[in-house]
Amino acid sequence: MPSNYPGFEYDADRETVSAAKVKALESLLIEKGVITGQTVDTVLSHFESKMGPFNGAKLVARAWVDPDFKARLLADCNAACEELGFPTGMSGAEGEHMRIAENTPEVHNVIVCSLCSCYPWPTLGLPPYWFKDPTFRARVAREPRVVLSEFGVELDDSVEIRIWDTSAQIRWWVLPMRPEGTENMSEEELAALLTPEAMMGVATVKG
Amino acid sequence: MKLQHNIGGIENLDPINFETRVFVEPWEERIFGIHTAMMALSNHLGDSLPDYKIDQVPTEFKSFWTWGHLRMGAESLNPFEYFRLRYYEKWLGGISGFFVEEGYITQAELDERTSQYLAEYSQADATLADLPKGGNMGIDEQVMKYLEEGDSPLRPSDMTPKFSAGDRVKVKNVQPGDHTRLPGHLRGKAAEVVKVYEDAFTYFFPTADGLGSPMPVYSLAFQAKDIWLEDLTDPNMVYYNDIFEVYIEAL
Repeated sequence: MPSNYPGFEYDADRETVSAAKVKALESLLIEKGVITGQTVDTVLSHFESKMGPFNGAKLVARAWVDPDFKARLLADCNAACEELGFPTGMSGAEGEHMRIAENTPEVHNVIVCSLCSCYPWPTLGLPPYWFKDPTFRARVAREPRVVLSEFGVELDDSVEIRIWDTSAQIRWWVLPMRPEGTENMSEEELAALLTPEAMMGVATVKG
Repeated sequence: MKLQHNIGGIENLDPINFETRVFVEPWEERIFGIHTAMMALSNHLGDSLPDYKIDQVPTEFKSFWTWGHLRMGAESLNPFEYFRLRYYEKWLGGISGFFVEEGYITQAELDERTSQYLAEYSQADATLADLPKGGNMGIDEQVMKYLEEGDSPLRPSDMTPKFSAGDRVKVKNVQPGDHTRLPGHLRGKAAEVVKVYEDAFTYFFPTADGLGSPMPVYSLAFQAKDIWLEDLTDPNMVYYNDIFEVYIEAL
Protein backbone atom coordinates (compact mmCIF):
# COMPACT_ATOMS: atom_id res chain seq x y z
CA MET A 1 0.00 0.00 0.00
CA PRO A 2 1.91 3.03 -1.20
CA SER A 3 -0.32 5.89 -0.18
CA ASN A 4 0.53 6.35 3.50
CA TYR A 5 3.94 7.24 4.86
CA PRO A 6 4.27 5.83 8.39
CA GLY A 7 3.92 8.28 11.24
CA PHE A 8 1.78 10.84 9.41
CA GLU A 9 -1.95 11.45 9.36
CA TYR A 10 -4.03 11.66 6.22
CA ASP A 11 -7.58 12.77 5.49
CA ALA A 12 -10.00 10.02 4.53
CA ASP A 13 -10.89 11.85 1.32
CA ARG A 14 -7.25 12.33 0.36
CA GLU A 15 -7.50 10.74 -3.09
CA THR A 16 -10.87 12.16 -4.13
CA VAL A 17 -9.72 15.69 -3.25
CA SER A 18 -6.59 15.27 -5.36
CA ALA A 19 -8.59 13.70 -8.20
CA ALA A 20 -11.07 16.59 -8.18
CA LYS A 21 -8.32 19.18 -7.95
CA VAL A 22 -6.26 17.85 -10.84
CA LYS A 23 -9.42 17.51 -12.96
CA ALA A 24 -10.33 21.12 -12.10
CA LEU A 25 -6.83 22.28 -13.03
CA GLU A 26 -6.78 20.38 -16.32
CA SER A 27 -10.25 21.60 -17.34
CA LEU A 28 -9.35 25.24 -16.58
CA LEU A 29 -6.09 24.96 -18.52
CA ILE A 30 -7.96 23.55 -21.52
CA GLU A 31 -10.59 26.30 -21.37
CA LYS A 32 -7.93 28.98 -21.20
CA GLY A 33 -5.97 27.63 -24.17
CA VAL A 34 -2.87 26.58 -22.22
CA ILE A 35 -3.25 22.94 -23.33
CA THR A 36 -5.86 21.13 -25.44
CA GLY A 37 -8.43 18.52 -24.50
CA GLN A 38 -6.03 15.87 -25.86
CA THR A 39 -2.67 17.07 -24.55
CA VAL A 40 -2.45 14.93 -21.42
CA ASP A 41 -3.63 11.81 -23.26
CA THR A 42 -1.10 12.53 -26.02
CA VAL A 43 1.71 12.59 -23.45
CA LEU A 44 0.52 9.41 -21.74
CA SER A 45 0.12 7.43 -24.96
CA HIS A 46 3.68 8.36 -25.92
CA PHE A 47 4.91 6.49 -22.84
CA GLU A 48 2.74 3.47 -23.66
CA SER A 49 3.91 3.06 -27.24
CA LYS A 50 7.17 4.93 -27.85
CA MET A 51 9.15 5.57 -24.66
CA GLY A 52 9.22 2.61 -22.32
CA PRO A 53 11.23 -0.27 -20.86
CA PHE A 54 10.48 -2.28 -24.02
CA ASN A 55 13.15 -0.13 -25.73
CA GLY A 56 15.75 -0.81 -23.07
CA ALA A 57 14.94 -4.53 -23.26
CA LYS A 58 15.62 -4.61 -27.02
CA LEU A 59 18.93 -2.81 -26.57
CA VAL A 60 20.07 -5.15 -23.79
CA ALA A 61 19.04 -8.26 -25.74
CA ARG A 62 21.01 -7.04 -28.76
CA ALA A 63 24.02 -6.33 -26.55
CA TRP A 64 23.82 -9.88 -25.18
CA VAL A 65 23.98 -11.47 -28.63
CA ASP A 66 26.33 -8.99 -30.33
CA PRO A 67 29.55 -8.13 -28.47
CA ASP A 68 30.43 -5.38 -30.95
CA PHE A 69 27.07 -3.72 -30.39
CA LYS A 70 27.57 -4.06 -26.64
CA ALA A 71 30.89 -2.25 -26.90
CA ARG A 72 29.23 0.57 -28.84
CA LEU A 73 26.31 0.75 -26.38
CA LEU A 74 28.74 1.10 -23.48
CA ALA A 75 30.83 3.70 -25.32
CA ASP A 76 27.96 5.85 -26.64
CA CYS A 77 24.46 4.86 -25.56
CA ASN A 78 22.63 7.42 -27.69
CA ALA A 79 24.51 6.51 -30.87
CA ALA A 80 23.77 2.82 -30.29
CA CYS A 81 20.05 3.60 -29.87
CA GLU A 82 20.06 5.41 -33.19
CA GLU A 83 21.84 2.52 -34.84
CA LEU A 84 19.08 0.06 -33.91
CA GLY A 85 16.64 2.08 -35.97
CA PHE A 86 14.44 3.15 -33.10
CA PRO A 87 11.90 5.83 -33.93
CA THR A 88 13.09 9.37 -33.47
CA GLY A 89 12.91 10.24 -29.84
CA MET A 90 15.53 7.87 -28.47
CA SER A 91 17.52 10.99 -27.76
CA GLY A 92 14.36 12.84 -26.73
CA ALA A 93 13.17 14.26 -23.47
CA GLU A 94 15.19 12.96 -20.51
CA GLY A 95 17.33 10.85 -22.82
CA GLU A 96 19.52 13.49 -24.38
CA HIS A 97 22.61 12.13 -22.61
CA MET A 98 22.25 8.51 -21.53
CA ARG A 99 24.93 6.14 -20.27
CA ILE A 100 24.72 2.47 -19.37
CA ALA A 101 26.76 0.64 -16.69
CA GLU A 102 27.56 -3.03 -17.23
CA ASN A 103 27.05 -5.68 -14.56
CA THR A 104 29.70 -8.43 -14.43
CA PRO A 105 30.48 -11.24 -11.97
CA GLU A 106 32.74 -8.73 -10.17
CA VAL A 107 30.67 -5.51 -10.37
CA HIS A 108 27.00 -4.79 -9.70
CA ASN A 109 25.53 -1.38 -10.60
CA VAL A 110 22.49 0.36 -9.10
CA ILE A 111 20.98 3.69 -10.18
CA VAL A 112 19.49 6.27 -7.85
CA CYS A 113 18.58 9.93 -7.94
CA SER A 114 19.11 11.02 -4.36
CA LEU A 115 17.76 14.56 -4.97
CA CYS A 116 14.66 13.72 -7.06
CA SER A 117 13.83 11.04 -9.64
CA CYS A 118 16.01 11.50 -12.76
CA TYR A 119 15.50 8.57 -15.12
CA PRO A 120 16.27 7.70 -18.79
CA TRP A 121 12.80 8.06 -20.33
CA PRO A 122 13.56 6.79 -23.85
CA THR A 123 15.02 3.47 -22.72
CA LEU A 124 13.13 2.82 -19.47
CA GLY A 125 9.99 4.99 -19.66
CA LEU A 126 8.75 6.43 -16.38
CA PRO A 127 10.22 5.48 -13.00
CA PRO A 128 8.34 3.08 -10.72
CA TYR A 129 6.99 4.32 -7.42
CA TRP A 130 9.72 2.74 -5.26
CA PHE A 131 12.46 4.64 -7.15
CA LYS A 132 10.80 7.99 -6.34
CA ASP A 133 10.11 7.13 -2.70
CA PRO A 134 12.49 8.92 -0.29
CA THR A 135 13.04 5.66 1.61
CA PHE A 136 14.82 4.00 -1.32
CA ARG A 137 16.76 7.17 -2.18
CA ALA A 138 17.93 7.57 1.42
CA ARG A 139 18.82 3.98 2.16
CA VAL A 140 20.52 2.81 -1.04
CA ALA A 141 23.06 5.63 -0.69
CA ARG A 142 24.48 4.10 2.48
CA GLU A 143 23.39 0.46 2.75
CA PRO A 144 22.90 -0.87 -0.79
CA ARG A 145 23.51 -4.51 0.18
CA VAL A 146 20.71 -4.44 2.71
CA VAL A 147 18.42 -2.71 0.22
CA LEU A 148 19.29 -5.17 -2.54
CA SER A 149 18.59 -8.11 -0.25
CA GLU A 150 15.13 -6.65 0.42
CA PHE A 151 14.64 -6.69 -3.36
CA GLY A 152 15.76 -10.34 -3.35
CA VAL A 153 19.26 -9.78 -4.73
CA GLU A 154 21.93 -11.35 -2.51
CA LEU A 155 25.46 -10.40 -3.48
CA ASP A 156 28.67 -11.80 -2.10
CA ASP A 157 30.85 -9.21 -0.37
CA SER A 158 33.47 -9.81 -3.06
CA VAL A 159 31.16 -8.17 -5.64
CA GLU A 160 31.78 -4.43 -5.84
CA ILE A 161 28.61 -2.37 -5.73
CA ARG A 162 28.61 0.82 -7.76
CA ILE A 163 25.91 3.39 -7.04
CA TRP A 164 25.18 5.89 -9.83
CA ASP A 165 23.60 9.03 -8.38
CA THR A 166 22.35 11.27 -11.20
CA SER A 167 22.52 14.82 -9.86
CA ALA A 168 23.57 16.39 -13.18
CA GLN A 169 22.01 15.73 -16.58
CA ILE A 170 23.45 12.35 -17.52
CA ARG A 171 20.81 9.62 -17.31
CA TRP A 172 22.20 6.26 -16.18
CA TRP A 173 20.78 2.75 -16.53
CA VAL A 174 22.14 -0.77 -16.12
CA LEU A 175 23.15 -3.53 -18.53
CA PRO A 176 22.34 -6.69 -16.53
CA MET A 177 24.14 -10.01 -16.90
CA ARG A 178 22.68 -12.52 -19.33
CA PRO A 179 21.34 -15.49 -17.38
CA GLU A 180 22.81 -18.95 -17.85
CA GLY A 181 20.86 -21.44 -19.93
CA THR A 182 19.65 -18.88 -22.47
CA GLU A 183 22.18 -19.75 -25.21
CA ASN A 184 19.47 -20.93 -27.60
CA MET A 185 17.04 -18.09 -27.06
CA SER A 186 16.27 -15.59 -29.80
CA GLU A 187 16.84 -11.89 -29.29
CA GLU A 188 13.10 -11.44 -28.90
CA GLU A 189 12.89 -14.14 -26.23
CA LEU A 190 15.82 -12.59 -24.40
CA ALA A 191 14.17 -9.16 -24.46
CA ALA A 192 11.07 -10.67 -22.85
CA LEU A 193 13.14 -11.72 -19.81
CA LEU A 194 14.00 -8.13 -18.92
CA THR A 195 12.24 -6.00 -16.32
CA PRO A 196 12.70 -2.30 -15.52
CA GLU A 197 14.10 -3.36 -12.15
CA ALA A 198 16.81 -5.48 -13.82
CA MET A 199 17.82 -2.45 -15.90
CA MET A 200 17.97 -0.32 -12.73
CA GLY A 201 20.14 -2.82 -10.86
CA VAL A 202 17.74 -4.03 -8.18
CA ALA A 203 16.91 -7.37 -9.83
CA THR A 204 18.82 -10.05 -11.67
CA VAL A 205 17.50 -11.59 -14.88
CA LYS A 206 16.05 -15.08 -14.61
CA GLY A 207 16.42 -17.43 -17.57
CA MET B 1 19.75 23.48 5.69
CA LYS B 2 16.96 21.56 3.99
CA LEU B 3 16.13 17.93 4.72
CA GLN B 4 15.21 17.56 1.04
CA HIS B 5 18.86 18.18 0.12
CA ASN B 6 20.09 15.70 2.70
CA ILE B 7 18.09 12.51 2.13
CA GLY B 8 21.06 10.26 1.42
CA GLY B 9 21.97 8.00 4.33
CA ILE B 10 19.10 8.74 6.75
CA GLU B 11 18.84 5.97 9.36
CA ASN B 12 15.87 4.16 10.94
CA LEU B 13 13.67 4.18 7.84
CA ASP B 14 11.31 1.35 6.96
CA PRO B 15 11.92 -1.49 4.51
CA ILE B 16 11.67 -0.54 0.83
CA ASN B 17 8.12 -0.28 -0.44
CA PHE B 18 8.48 -2.39 -3.57
CA GLU B 19 5.61 -0.79 -5.49
CA THR B 20 6.46 -1.13 -9.19
CA ARG B 21 3.59 0.89 -10.64
CA VAL B 22 4.43 4.37 -11.93
CA PHE B 23 1.07 5.86 -10.93
CA VAL B 24 -0.54 4.46 -7.80
CA GLU B 25 -3.79 6.45 -8.20
CA PRO B 26 -5.49 7.19 -11.53
CA TRP B 27 -5.40 10.97 -10.98
CA GLU B 28 -1.58 11.00 -10.77
CA GLU B 29 -1.09 10.50 -14.50
CA ARG B 30 -3.00 13.72 -15.22
CA ILE B 31 -0.60 15.94 -13.26
CA PHE B 32 2.34 14.17 -14.87
CA GLY B 33 0.88 14.99 -18.30
CA ILE B 34 0.32 18.63 -17.36
CA HIS B 35 3.90 19.03 -16.10
CA THR B 36 5.35 17.43 -19.23
CA ALA B 37 3.25 19.73 -21.44
CA MET B 38 4.51 22.75 -19.48
CA MET B 39 8.12 21.68 -20.13
CA ALA B 40 7.26 21.19 -23.81
CA LEU B 41 5.68 24.66 -24.09
CA SER B 42 8.20 26.58 -21.95
CA ASN B 43 9.19 29.95 -23.40
CA HIS B 44 12.93 29.18 -23.15
CA LEU B 45 12.72 26.50 -25.87
CA GLY B 46 13.24 29.17 -28.52
CA ASP B 47 16.90 29.10 -27.47
CA SER B 48 17.07 25.32 -27.33
CA LEU B 49 19.30 23.15 -29.54
CA PRO B 50 16.34 21.54 -31.39
CA ASP B 51 14.62 23.94 -33.77
CA TYR B 52 11.51 24.85 -31.80
CA LYS B 53 9.39 27.75 -33.10
CA ILE B 54 8.08 28.24 -29.60
CA ASP B 55 6.81 31.78 -30.11
CA GLN B 56 4.55 30.51 -32.91
CA VAL B 57 2.98 27.69 -30.89
CA PRO B 58 -0.70 28.59 -30.36
CA THR B 59 -0.72 28.19 -26.57
CA GLU B 60 -1.56 30.74 -23.93
CA PHE B 61 1.31 29.35 -21.84
CA LYS B 62 4.02 32.00 -21.89
CA SER B 63 6.11 30.99 -18.86
CA PHE B 64 9.49 29.46 -18.22
CA TRP B 65 9.15 25.93 -16.79
CA THR B 66 11.83 23.24 -16.44
CA TRP B 67 12.54 20.37 -14.05
CA GLY B 68 14.45 22.87 -11.95
CA HIS B 69 11.31 24.91 -11.38
CA LEU B 70 9.35 21.84 -10.30
CA ARG B 71 12.16 20.66 -8.02
CA MET B 72 12.48 24.08 -6.41
CA GLY B 73 8.84 23.83 -5.32
CA ALA B 74 9.40 20.45 -3.65
CA GLU B 75 12.56 21.75 -1.99
CA SER B 76 10.66 24.72 -0.55
CA LEU B 77 8.14 22.53 1.30
CA ASN B 78 8.14 22.04 5.03
CA PRO B 79 10.38 18.94 5.29
CA PHE B 80 7.76 16.94 7.16
CA GLU B 81 5.25 17.74 4.42
CA TYR B 82 7.85 16.57 1.92
CA PHE B 83 7.85 13.14 3.56
CA ARG B 84 4.13 13.10 4.32
CA LEU B 85 3.06 13.80 0.75
CA ARG B 86 3.34 11.23 -2.00
CA TYR B 87 5.46 12.09 -5.05
CA TYR B 88 2.69 13.37 -7.33
CA GLU B 89 0.90 15.12 -4.46
CA LYS B 90 3.91 17.41 -4.26
CA TRP B 91 3.63 18.01 -8.02
CA LEU B 92 -0.07 18.83 -7.81
CA GLY B 93 0.48 21.39 -5.06
CA GLY B 94 3.44 23.02 -6.77
CA ILE B 95 1.98 23.16 -10.27
CA SER B 96 -1.49 24.37 -9.30
CA GLY B 97 0.15 27.04 -7.12
CA PHE B 98 2.30 28.11 -10.07
CA PHE B 99 -0.71 28.61 -12.36
CA VAL B 100 -2.41 30.73 -9.69
CA GLU B 101 0.70 32.82 -8.95
CA GLU B 102 1.33 33.43 -12.65
CA GLY B 103 -2.27 34.57 -13.13
CA TYR B 104 -3.41 31.86 -15.55
CA ILE B 105 -6.21 30.89 -13.15
CA THR B 106 -7.44 32.24 -9.83
CA GLN B 107 -7.51 30.33 -6.57
CA ALA B 108 -11.27 30.94 -6.42
CA GLU B 109 -11.78 29.37 -9.87
CA LEU B 110 -9.74 26.36 -8.91
CA ASP B 111 -11.52 25.90 -5.57
CA GLU B 112 -14.95 26.28 -7.12
CA ARG B 113 -14.26 23.79 -9.90
CA THR B 114 -12.69 21.36 -7.41
CA SER B 115 -15.78 21.56 -5.19
CA GLN B 116 -18.02 20.91 -8.18
CA TYR B 117 -16.14 17.72 -9.10
CA LEU B 118 -15.96 16.63 -5.46
CA ALA B 119 -19.72 16.97 -5.19
CA GLU B 120 -20.10 14.72 -8.24
CA TYR B 121 -17.78 12.11 -6.73
CA SER B 122 -19.82 12.05 -3.52
CA GLN B 123 -23.09 11.21 -5.31
CA ALA B 124 -23.26 7.58 -6.27
CA ASP B 125 -25.59 8.15 -9.23
CA ALA B 126 -24.09 11.42 -10.49
CA THR B 127 -22.93 11.72 -14.08
CA LEU B 128 -19.30 12.82 -14.00
CA ALA B 129 -18.55 15.89 -16.08
CA ASP B 130 -16.27 15.31 -19.07
CA LEU B 131 -13.14 17.36 -19.52
CA PRO B 132 -13.51 20.09 -22.16
CA LYS B 133 -12.68 18.91 -25.67
CA GLY B 134 -10.90 20.55 -28.56
CA GLY B 135 -8.18 23.16 -28.64
CA ASN B 136 -5.52 24.09 -31.15
CA MET B 137 -3.67 20.98 -32.35
CA GLY B 138 -0.53 23.07 -32.85
CA ILE B 139 -0.09 22.77 -29.07
CA ASP B 140 -0.04 18.98 -29.15
CA GLU B 141 2.28 18.95 -32.15
CA GLN B 142 4.82 20.93 -30.10
CA VAL B 143 4.37 18.56 -27.13
CA MET B 144 5.09 15.55 -29.37
CA LYS B 145 8.08 17.30 -30.92
CA TYR B 146 9.46 18.02 -27.46
CA LEU B 147 9.08 14.39 -26.36
CA GLU B 148 10.97 13.25 -29.46
CA GLU B 149 13.69 15.89 -29.56
CA GLY B 150 14.10 16.88 -25.92
CA ASP B 151 15.97 19.85 -24.58
CA SER B 152 19.64 18.98 -24.33
CA PRO B 153 21.51 21.12 -21.80
CA LEU B 154 24.76 20.57 -23.69
CA ARG B 155 26.37 23.75 -24.99
CA PRO B 156 29.47 24.04 -27.15
CA SER B 157 32.26 25.36 -25.01
CA ASP B 158 35.85 26.42 -25.31
CA MET B 159 36.20 26.41 -21.51
CA THR B 160 39.06 24.27 -20.32
CA PRO B 161 37.83 22.01 -17.52
CA LYS B 162 39.64 22.76 -14.28
CA PHE B 163 40.12 19.08 -13.47
CA SER B 164 41.20 15.95 -15.31
CA ALA B 165 40.49 12.25 -14.90
CA GLY B 166 42.56 10.95 -12.00
CA ASP B 167 42.55 14.23 -10.06
CA ARG B 168 41.61 14.14 -6.38
CA VAL B 169 38.96 16.76 -5.58
CA LYS B 170 36.81 17.87 -2.68
CA VAL B 171 33.13 18.78 -2.82
CA LYS B 172 32.53 22.34 -1.66
CA ASN B 173 30.10 23.13 1.11
CA VAL B 174 28.24 25.92 -0.68
CA GLN B 175 25.11 27.65 0.59
CA PRO B 176 22.38 25.71 -1.26
CA GLY B 177 19.73 28.44 -1.38
CA ASP B 178 16.29 27.59 -2.81
CA HIS B 179 17.53 24.91 -5.14
CA THR B 180 20.63 22.79 -5.50
CA ARG B 181 21.94 19.84 -7.47
CA LEU B 182 24.50 19.01 -4.79
CA PRO B 183 23.46 16.05 -2.60
CA GLY B 184 23.98 16.93 1.05
CA HIS B 185 25.77 13.72 1.98
CA LEU B 186 28.59 14.53 -0.46
CA ARG B 187 29.38 17.99 0.89
CA GLY B 188 32.96 18.32 2.06
CA LYS B 189 33.83 14.80 0.89
CA ALA B 190 36.88 13.77 -1.15
CA ALA B 191 36.58 11.96 -4.45
CA GLU B 192 38.43 11.06 -7.62
CA VAL B 193 37.52 12.43 -11.04
CA VAL B 194 36.84 9.39 -13.24
CA LYS B 195 35.47 11.18 -16.29
CA VAL B 196 35.26 14.69 -17.66
CA TYR B 197 32.14 14.93 -19.82
CA GLU B 198 32.59 16.70 -23.13
CA ASP B 199 31.54 20.30 -23.63
CA ALA B 200 29.52 22.19 -21.04
CA PHE B 201 26.08 21.89 -19.45
CA THR B 202 23.63 24.69 -18.79
CA TYR B 203 20.99 24.52 -16.06
CA PHE B 204 18.73 26.90 -18.06
CA PHE B 205 18.42 29.40 -15.18
CA PRO B 206 20.79 30.65 -12.49
CA THR B 207 20.65 29.15 -9.01
CA ALA B 208 21.94 30.85 -5.88
CA ASP B 209 24.63 28.18 -5.54
CA GLY B 210 26.17 28.85 -8.93
CA LEU B 211 24.48 26.72 -11.61
CA GLY B 212 23.15 28.23 -14.81
CA SER B 213 25.78 29.31 -17.26
CA PRO B 214 27.32 26.36 -19.15
CA MET B 215 30.10 24.61 -17.26
CA PRO B 216 31.95 21.28 -17.31
CA VAL B 217 30.41 18.27 -15.59
CA TYR B 218 32.42 15.43 -14.05
CA SER B 219 31.82 11.88 -12.95
CA LEU B 220 33.26 11.52 -9.45
CA ALA B 221 33.97 8.28 -7.57
CA PHE B 222 33.67 8.37 -3.78
CA GLN B 223 34.88 5.52 -1.62
CA ALA B 224 32.11 4.62 0.83
CA LYS B 225 34.47 5.10 3.78
CA ASP B 226 35.03 8.69 2.66
CA ILE B 227 31.29 9.42 2.93
CA TRP B 228 30.09 7.27 5.83
CA LEU B 229 31.45 5.99 9.10
CA GLU B 230 32.68 2.51 8.37
CA ASP B 231 30.26 0.69 10.70
CA LEU B 232 27.31 2.50 9.09
CA THR B 233 27.96 1.38 5.53
CA ASP B 234 28.13 -1.81 3.51
CA PRO B 235 31.44 -3.28 2.40
CA ASN B 236 32.92 -2.99 -1.09
CA MET B 237 30.91 -0.10 -2.48
CA VAL B 238 31.83 2.88 -4.65
CA TYR B 239 29.52 5.87 -4.97
CA TYR B 240 29.49 7.68 -8.30
CA ASN B 241 28.01 11.13 -8.76
CA ASP B 242 27.77 13.37 -11.81
CA ILE B 243 28.59 16.84 -10.59
CA PHE B 244 28.80 20.39 -11.95
CA GLU B 245 32.23 22.03 -11.83
CA VAL B 246 31.10 24.88 -9.57
CA TYR B 247 30.60 22.38 -6.74
CA ILE B 248 34.17 21.04 -6.56
CA GLU B 249 37.64 22.28 -5.69
CA ALA B 250 41.14 20.83 -5.70
CA LEU B 251 41.93 18.64 -2.71
